[in-house]
Parts: sequence; structure tokens; C-alpha cells
Amino acid sequence: MPAVRGDGMRGLAVFISDIRNCKSKEAEIKRINKELANIRSKFKGDKTLDGYQKKKYVCKLLFIFLLGHDIDFGQIEAVNLLSSNKYTEKQIGYLFISVLISGNSELIQLIVQSIKNDLASRNPVHVSLALQCIANIGSKDMAEAFGQEIPKLLVSGDTLDVVKQSAALCLLRLFRTDPSVIPSGEWTSRIVHLLNDQHMGVVTAAASLIDALVKKNPEEYKGCISLAVSRLSRIVTSSYTDFQDYTYYFVPAPWLSVKLLRLLQNYPPPEDPGVRGRLSECLETILNKAQEPPKSKKIQHSNAKNAVLFEAISLIIHNDSEPNLLVRACNQLGQFLSHRETNLRYLALESMCILATSEFSHEAVKKHQETVINALKTERDVSVRQRAVDLLYAMCDKSNAEEIVLEMLAYLETADYSIREEMVLKVAILAEKYATDYKWYVDVILNLIRLAGDYVSEEVWYRVIQIVINRDDVQGYAAKTVFEALQAQACHENMVKVGGYILGEFGNLIAGDARSSPAVQLQLLHSKFHLCSSMTRALLLSTYVKFVNLFPEIKSHVEEIFVADSNLRSADAELQQRASEYLALSKLTSLDVLATVLEEMPPFPEKESSGLLNLLKKKRPGRVIENPDRLDEHVKKEPRETNGTSGLTLASNTEQEGGSADLLGLGVPSAGNGNGPTTNGAGAVTNNIQKFYCKNNGVLYENDIIQIGVKTECRSNLARLALFYGNKTNHPFMNFQPNVSASPALSLAILLQVKQVDSTVEAGAQFQQMVNVECVNDFDEQPDLNLVYNYNGAPQTVNIKLPISINKFIEPTEMNGEAFFSRWKNLSLPAQESQKIFKAAHPMEATDSTKAKLIGYGFQLLENIDPNPDNYVCAGIIHTRSLQIGCLLRLEPNKQAQMYRLTTRSSVEAVSQHITSVLCETLSK
Amino acid sequence: MIGGLFCYNHKGEVLISRVYRDDIGRNAVDAFRVNVIHARGQVRSPVTNIARTSYFHIKRSNLWLAAVTKQNVNATMVFEFLLKVVEVMQNYFGKISEENVKNNFVLIYELLDEIVDFGYPQNTDTGVLKTFITQQGVKSVTKEEQAAITSQVTGQIGWRREGIKYRRNELFLDVMEYVNLLMSPQGQVLSAHVAGKILMKSYLSGMPECKFGINDKIAMDSKGKPAEESKTKSAIAIDDCQFHQCVKLSKFESEHAISFIPPDGENELMRYRTTKDISLPFRVIPLVREVGRAKLEVKVVVKSNFKPSLLAQKIEIRIPTPLNTSGVQLICMKGKAKYKASENAIVWKIKRMGGMKESQISAEIELLTTDTKKKWTRPPISMNFEVPFAPSGFKVRYLKVFEPKLNYSDHDVIKWVRYIGRSGLYETRC
Repeated sequence: MPAVRGDGMRGLAVFISDIRNCKSKEAEIKRINKELANIRSKFKGDKTLDGYQKKKYVCKLLFIFLLGHDIDFGQIEAVNLLSSNKYTEKQIGYLFISVLISGNSELIQLIVQSIKNDLASRNPVHVSLALQCIANIGSKDMAEAFGQEIPKLLVSGDTLDVVKQSAALCLLRLFRTDPSVIPSGEWTSRIVHLLNDQHMGVVTAAASLIDALVKKNPEEYKGCISLAVSRLSRIVTSSYTDFQDYTYYFVPAPWLSVKLLRLLQNYPPPEDPGVRGRLSECLETILNKAQEPPKSKKIQHSNAKNAVLFEAISLIIHNDSEPNLLVRACNQLGQFLSHRETNLRYLALESMCILATSEFSHEAVKKHQETVINALKTERDVSVRQRAVDLLYAMCDKSNAEEIVLEMLAYLETADYSIREEMVLKVAILAEKYATDYKWYVDVILNLIRLAGDYVSEEVWYRVIQIVINRDDVQGYAAKTVFEALQAQACHENMVKVGGYILGEFGNLIAGDARSSPAVQLQLLHSKFHLCSSMTRALLLSTYVKFVNLFPEIKSHVEEIFVADSNLRSADAELQQRASEYLALSKLTSLDVLATVLEEMPPFPEKESSGLLNLLKKKRPGRVIENPDRLDEHVKKEPRETNGTSGLTLASNTEQEGGSADLLGLGVPSAGNGNGPTTNGAGAVTNNIQKFYCKNNGVLYENDIIQIGVKTECRSNLARLALFYGNKTNHPFMNFQPNVSASPALSLAILLQVKQVDSTVEAGAQFQQMVNVECVNDFDEQPDLNLVYNYNGAPQTVNIKLPISINKFIEPTEMNGEAFFSRWKNLSLPAQESQKIFKAAHPMEATDSTKAKLIGYGFQLLENIDPNPDNYVCAGIIHTRSLQIGCLLRLEPNKQAQMYRLTTRSSVEAVSQHITSVLCETLSK
Repeated sequence: MIGGLFCYNHKGEVLISRVYRDDIGRNAVDAFRVNVIHARGQVRSPVTNIARTSYFHIKRSNLWLAAVTKQNVNATMVFEFLLKVVEVMQNYFGKISEENVKNNFVLIYELLDEIVDFGYPQNTDTGVLKTFITQQGVKSVTKEEQAAITSQVTGQIGWRREGIKYRRNELFLDVMEYVNLLMSPQGQVLSAHVAGKILMKSYLSGMPECKFGINDKIAMDSKGKPAEESKTKSAIAIDDCQFHQCVKLSKFESEHAISFIPPDGENELMRYRTTKDISLPFRVIPLVREVGRAKLEVKVVVKSNFKPSLLAQKIEIRIPTPLNTSGVQLICMKGKAKYKASENAIVWKIKRMGGMKESQISAEIELLTTDTKKKWTRPPISMNFEVPFAPSGFKVRYLKVFEPKLNYSDHDVIKWVRYIGRSGLYETRC
């Protein structure tokens, strides 16, 4: 506290030393109480206190407050001090106010007035104090009260430099609390021109302010680019003797340089060739300077120099336009890689990670591979090693993948526990991405499990199984390899899982060898059985039952295992169920049935996704350095989480039960759509096929003569349509021929089965025709109904579409918010998403009708999971014969604009687009 | 099972550290200091659990005394033990202070070795401890003496040794009572109880057997005397009581007779508590008037409510003042009154006051207006005093001494009985 000086306040010094001498907390409180009472009586007293005394007591109060006691008086005295002309008194007053006054105090008006007076003062010291106080309080009130004055102060010609400096920083503080404090327009160019100020302090302060402003409104402050560049070039090219006060250990204005370089990173490379050239020159000069011998051995010198250098390199990376500079930067970083300063090595690795993503410098970065690998092995600091792993991951491409993966695997054995899981994921991703030979891939992953089994997540081994199943050429090799791996004395549970699954599928491929005969395989697997968790045991049981199919000769052994008490009467319900069901399966059924049930798993759908990558991102949000994709991607499939553990999908899908009604209960119309097809007596309704996207039953077509109603029942990938033909006339229809047909493309996607009907429809009669539909693949067309009949001797034709669309096969899926958003993120590729923005036809408040439409369309409406309660979030699974397509949907209303934004994501591109266009039409009509 | 015992000064420096069990690690000492003594907020619970270790602490002047354990022990036992440790130390070297602990640490370790064994408290009776833990250096003890000590410590009557002789057989009894009261401003008793104890100083020869009679309701009823008689003699209802280990509890339970062989010297014979029919020695009548925001007028009247022949002493009345007091003017007829800013209270002291008298003080308190909206909470007015009677109505009816082996009888013993009533927490709301 500057006030306590030799000539300063003796009373305060005595008080503080008293407090410090107190033996116990109680004694301290007593002393404080006494002092407070004294101050109260002094403030209450009739005779007025002089400035010195006020200052002293306010100081004491401040000290007591800082000790942690509540102070509820003295504010008036402090405010009085503000109007004093003595610097020390004013200063103490401001100090007290900025520490103690709360925003909503009654005194705020008085304070604001005092500050206003000081701001207008001719004494620069008083102005500075006032600015300091404003910045320290920094509340919205302050922003409102002084938002107008400070910019004036900042750009006015007759303000002193020190004051300008304070004003810039004060304005920055207010801008952070209330961005509206700086009006755009008139001040822009004047603020920007502060970069040209003579005084370096002003420029430094202004650079911070402008940086914040640019972040808010880059376009408006575009003018600062050229100014910043020219300022930078003046600093860089000058010698350190030019700026006396602003040279820090022989580095000219390092802070200002860093700020300017940061400022420039807010913009793309300058377009004006002149400016651009100048900037490149500057950056080159900075890089050149790094090569010069240091002017001082002090750490501060190299710190300042390197700070500027690293910021320059960041800017080079940000601009990413000058190959020459990028390569130079890369070389410079390469030098730092073997620097003895740990911080520099860390920073160099980090910057290089970003450099590796640039196409210009990727090759240059690769040159340092040796050094980086070396760093991984010899570095003592774990955070630096982590960065080295990141960099290896980032610099990996087809040419060096094998080597890098090998090195990472080798390092994994000794790696720090904290980074193992991440490394495992990275190795798995790299191995998959750049695998040219799947044998190599299988080897790598098995090695991975062997070395760091605990850190191998489920997804990693799901993935290897998927790849093995989808690739015929590696199946035999994989079976052989896992068999060998399982022979190790102790092997990790994940290895047992992979081994169990692969041998169950492809054990027959190596059964010819006597060393790996079926009995040996079974015995080997079962030797691990008792050491495993129940999940693995369940998987192994599935493997065993598959052995029954593959090798009938060991059936009795397998049955023995099922019968064993530990399985058949296991406390684990899943194990018990599997054991008893598999036992029954192997005992009771014929070989044919067995062969069908226990058939080899079908290939997994190849999907364009990167589940592992998502996993990596989840693990370290915001920190993942991408491995750039600039090579052909061949294997990229989504790991299907549901298909992992149990080879046979035995567990019944409980979700299905909640779905649509039984196929047999066709006669019962569902509650919501009770319009009987025949009762609708409207006039000439023509084709209202559109409506049927969102409902199942109703009148499809009607004119004076005939009415066609439809009732649709769906269950997973099957649908049954009941078409009702009603004769509205007094004459029979003759030669009545309804013809349902599909276009060639559509007939591949759906199978139609149409019941034949009588060719005569009696007058006033109604009859029904059944149409069975099976969905094989996704489709976006609709089948035609071509109706030909004779009425009153005249031939009639009706051509309409049958209301069958892909959404009839959507099964609503309930899920919680977490599951929804994780799936939502999994489907983030552009091709999987389809988005439309359109005008709402109906008032947006009618949420119920919108909801009804979405539900009618077939989705499950997931309520209360989106952070914005207005949004509609839906999920469903489209069942086709070949696959199930997950479908997620978000509908975001914008109430002001009366617009909707509809986003659909599904694993099949055509489906997303189809759903979006249909729903968009439905909702905007 | 106490794991260890630590003693700290107010700064948290360790003065005494004695660990009885291996499960208490070295860091246990620091854990208590960091988490309790130097805690940011004041720790008010006497029992603190830190990392599965329990700390039981008491504070005496500026010293912290903490017992540590990892087991699930009886907390009251531990606190009783801690109080005993304090008592033993006081008996050995007087007031407990950092200075005294530092000067006597050899003795303290010796005591701590003796009164706890593997975490189990042993004999904490000072009289017995003084027979073999002395402050007079090492002196060779003869075989007979050693045997006498052993037989006494391990024997049936561990609290008294044989062969004590006095020229004058004397017995002093002090009945000490603490009155606790909380009264509403209107004079309604909200809660009141008396905690009493009987201190005995015996200077008797041989192994005398004593019998002690009090005016306890149950004891007097059980004597088979007519109920009326016990009423006229104003028997009192004792809520609960506890005795020194020398009292034969079996006899108390069967015959309601308190009979014992007293330990030599000073001892606490009995402790008791009563809640009914307490005669409150003083009545405080407060009158507080707020005159505007800047002034407070307080008038307090004190009335003594006991026999005029008796004289109360050391009377002190403490009137709390608001936190924004800026000045106080006091007028009192009797005694001396002063505003103590450090304690935020007016302290009014009266040296002596007879029974059935009354006295008053009036104070004008000036207040400083502050910006806080909080109202003053008006803490209660508290009082301290000492009166020469037992407010609970407790009476010693008789004390008989029998010593069959030696040739003195009950009549030869000089007996003294004294009653003292003191204030505990004696508060009146205002």
C-alpha cells in the first residue's frame, strides 16, 4: 500500500502492527471491534475531519475489509475523498470505492459525478485515476455512464499519451462488459488510426482494444490490416536501440509485435499485393532474426524473441498461403525440436501439428519424423511426449504409415498410462486408414490388444471383426493369427473376445491343420472361459454353438459345456438363457435348421463414417489434431455398436414391441384416424395422396361415381394396404380391373403382392382388395394404381398413386437426449444430412398439429431433449429387408421470421433428402 | 481405543505428540492442524473426521488438545478422558498454558504413558498418580514401598492408600452449583437448569467409611418416612447424578445410601442436575427503546431475589450494543459501568448486593447510519454472579464417618459445609 510510508499515516501503521501481533483470532477480532467503534465515533463526531484523518480512517476500514470483515459504513467519507485535490487522498478514495462499492449502491450517482469531474480535469493524474476506477468497477452502469466520454478522450488531440493509454484499456474493459458501448461508424477509423500513434504505449494499448473489436466486427475494422502491417514492419526492421523504453532485453517492443501478429490472425492474408509483400517481408525478417546469434544470454531475451517468433509462425500457418514461409517456419521449428528448453520443444511440436495439416508444409514436416520419434522415446516430460504422439498422428500418411504405426506400437509398451488410451485409438485409426494389406491391419490390432488390452475400447475390436468379416481374403489369416495369439499363457480379455468371435466364424478355415483341430480350438477357448467376465462368457457360448454347426464331431464336448452347472444354472440370466437355448438348439434341431440359424454372419454394411475418430474427439474435446485426408480412403465403415457381442442376434428387439399394431388386427381402425373410408361423403375429391404421408387411413380418391378408400397397416418392413372400392351409383361396374404396378426402379426396392378381385361391383356395394408390400430397399417413388372399369357402358379409368412411401416403414424409436445427440453427431457427414429452410404455412403456435404431423409421419417425437424447448426432435428406424436405416430429425422454428429449419440425418443420403422434401411440403402447405 | 494424543499451541505448532497405536500415521498431526486449527472457517464441531480418522478436540486457553482414533470409539468417553487429562495436568502444575506445558513436557509424557495403555484409558486419579509419578527426580524406591504401590494400584481400593494419619481429622464439603437460565423480555422462564457438583476435601486417618445424606426425594421416600415429612423438609428432585468411583453403587441402588471410603485430599464426590423448583437469584428487566435511526435508549433493572441476610458477590451484567454504535452515555446508581468497544457490549459491575434489593442502569447509545438493511439481532443480556446458597435447594443432611480400627469416632471429626451458587449461562432476552 503506497500510503504507508515513512511520512504516511502513523495510526494506520500502528493498527496494522497491532493486528499482526495478535496472538489469536479472538484477540484480532477484539482489536478490530475496538478500532471500528473508534472510527464510528470519529465519523459520527460533530467536528469535521480533515482530509488526512478521513484518508487514514478509510484506509483502516479498507484494511479491515481486506481481512475479511464486513464494512457497512464509511462510503460517504470515501466519496468525499474523491473531491480532494491531493493525489494520495483521491487515490485512497478511489481504491476504497473500487474495492467496496457494490453496483447497486445508492451512492453510485455521487461517485459517477465525481468521476465525471475528474475526467474533465486538466490534471492528467486525476483523469488516469478516474479511468482506473471505471475499469476496476467495470459494471454495466459504468459502461452506460461513460461509454460516450471515453472514446472522445481516446481520440482527442490534446490528451496526454499516458491518459490515452489508460483510456484505451478502460474502453476495452467496458467493451467486454457491454459490447454496445462502442458505437460503430464515426469512431472506427479514428480508433484504427491509433495504431499510427507516436507513442508506443498508446499503440500497445490500442492493439489490445482493436483486437477485441475486430473479433466482434471484422469487416468494419478491416482498415487496421495495412496499418498493423506497416507498424509491424517498422518495429521488425528497426534496431533495438530505436525504442529506448520499449526494448526488452534487446528485443524491440515484443509485446506490441505479438499483439499485432495476433491481430492479423483475425483476417485472411491481405489481398493488396503491396501489403501482402510487406507482411511476408516482416515474417521473413522475424525468421531471419531467429537465426542470428543471441544478443544476450539472459533467459528474458530468448523468451521475448521466441514469443515473437512463435506468434509469427502461427500467423504463417494461419495464412497458409506462402509455401516458402511455411517451409522455413517448419525448419525453424525443427531446430527447436532438439532445443534443450522443454517449453520450446512443446511449442514446436504443437505448432508442427498444425503445420502438418497444411498441404504446403506437410512434406517438410515429414522430414522431422526421426526427431519426433526420438523425442517420443527420450523425452522426460509427459506433456511433450503427448504432443509428439499428436504430431506423429498428424504427419502420418500412406508413405510413412507403417513405420509410424510400428513406432507407436513399440512405444505403447512403455507409454505413460495417461496417454495410452488415446494412443491406442490413434494407432487403430491410422492402421485402418492407411492399411494397404489387411493382414498387416489384423496384425497391428492384435498387437495392440496384446500390448495394451486394458486401453482398447470396445469400438476398436468391433472394428477389426467387421473388417475381417467383410474381407474374405484375410479370414483364414485372421483365424490363424488369433489362434496363435490365444496360445499365450496370459492373454487379455479383449483378445479372448476377438479370438472367440473369429474362431466361431472362421475356425473351420484352420481346422485342417492337426495343431488347430476343432477339439484343440474348443479346448483352447474354454481354458480361458473361467477367467473372463460374464459378457465375454456369453460371447464364447455363442462361439461354442457355432462350433456345433462347424464341427459336428465335437458336438458332445460342446453340449457338456452347456450342461455344466456354471452355465446352465448360472446366476447371470443372460448366460443361463444362452446355455439353455443353445443346448436345446443343438440337441433338438436338425442339421439343416442348425446350419441356417448358425450361418456365417453377413457382411456388415459399409458406411461412410468414422466412429473411432468420434471417440477420439469425445475423449479430448477441442484438442484433436486432424489427420489430414488427402489420400484415397478405402476402408471407412461405421462400427456398428449393436452387432458386437452376440454373434447371433438372439435378444429380441424390445423396441419393436412398442411399434405398430399386430398384422392380424387389421380390421380395427386406429384411434386417431377413425374416418371410415366409406363414410366420407365429400364431393369431388380428387387425388389427395399428399395427405397420406402423415396418415394411414382415409379416402384416397373420390368422384361422383366411385370412392376409393385405403387403410394401411405396417409392421417393420412389411405393409398391408386394404383398398376399399365403393360404388356410389345405382349401376354396377363391369369389367372392374384394379392394376397395381411399380416403375422398374421401384420394383427393385419394394415387392408388391396384389389379391385378385371380382370384375363386377354391384350398385351401392363396397368391397376391399388387399395389397401386401415388402420393403427391400429405400425408395422415393410410389406405386401406381391403374383402375379400369365400365360404368353404364362407358369405360372409365382412374390413375392414382398408392400411398406407400418409405416413411410407412419407420418405426418410432424412443431414446434419451444423450443417445440422440451422440447418434446425431455420428451422422455428421454432409451427404448424410439434408436441410431445408421454409416458410411456415400455419401459425407456429399450433405445436400440436405440427407434432401430430411428425408423429403421423412415423417418427417418435422426443420431447424435452433439445436445449431449446421450441424445437422438435424426432427419431425413427426405417426397416427394409436388407438393412435398417436410422433416421434423426430436427425441426427448428424461428418464430420471428415464421420460418422453419428442417434438418434430417440418416445413414442413407437419398432417404434424408426424400424425407426432408416430403416433410417440407407437408408442413409448408 | 485412543490412537494418539496431540497438543498444539494457538499457532498450530505441536507441543505434545503421543501416539498409542500404529494405525495413526505421521501425517495425522498435520491433518488436524491444516483442517481444524488453520481452517478457513471456524470449526465448531468438537469431532472432526479427516480421511477416516476421527479427531476429538477441546480448547483450553490457547491450547488445543486433540485425541485421534481410527476406530469407532465412544465419543463421550474420549471427551471425559480429555477433561481428565486437563484436570491431572492442572493438579500437577497449575494453569494450563503453553509456557507450563513446555516447562513440564517430561512430566506430561510420563503421565500420558501412565494414564493410557495401548489406547485404553487407565487410572486418572491424581491422588494415586502422585504416589508414583513425582516431580522429585529419581529416587530409589524400597522393595516394600514398591510393593505397597503395586498392591494399591492393582487392589480393590485403588484411590486410597493405607496408613494415612492426621492429628486433626477434618472434612470439608463444598456444594457448587451453576444456574443456567434463558428468560423472555416479559420475565417468562424459557429454560432453566442447575448443574451442581460436590467437592470434598478429606483429611481423615486410616480407612474411614463415610455415609452421606442429601435431601433427594427418592432417597428420602425410600427411607420409609411419611410422605408429609419429606415434603416439609423440601426434598428436591434430582434429574440425574453421577458419583466418584469410591461410592459403592450397589448400595446406592439397593438402599439409596451414599456410602464410600473417601480418597485422601481434594476430590469431586458427586455431580447432579436439577430442572425443577429452581430459585433464581436475580431477575433482569430490560427496556430498550429505539429513538429514530440514530439513537437507542436502554434501561436495565436488576432485582435480587433471596434472603436479605445473604450477600451476592462478583455481579457483572453484560448488555450487548448494536454493531454501529458510535457513542455511549451511561448512568448507574450502583457499581461501575463501562462501554467496551472491543466486545460490543456495556459491562456493568457490582461488587456486592444484598437480598431483596434492586438497582438500575440507563444508557443512551448513539448510532451511525449505515447502508446495511440488516436489523440488529438484539443478543440477550447476560449476567455473572456468585451467591452463598444452592439455588436448586440442595441440602446436605448428614455425613457420618466410621473408622472401626482407629480410635476416633464421628464426633471427633470436624466437618465443614459450604454452599456456593454461581451463574452458568444466565441470559435475558431484550
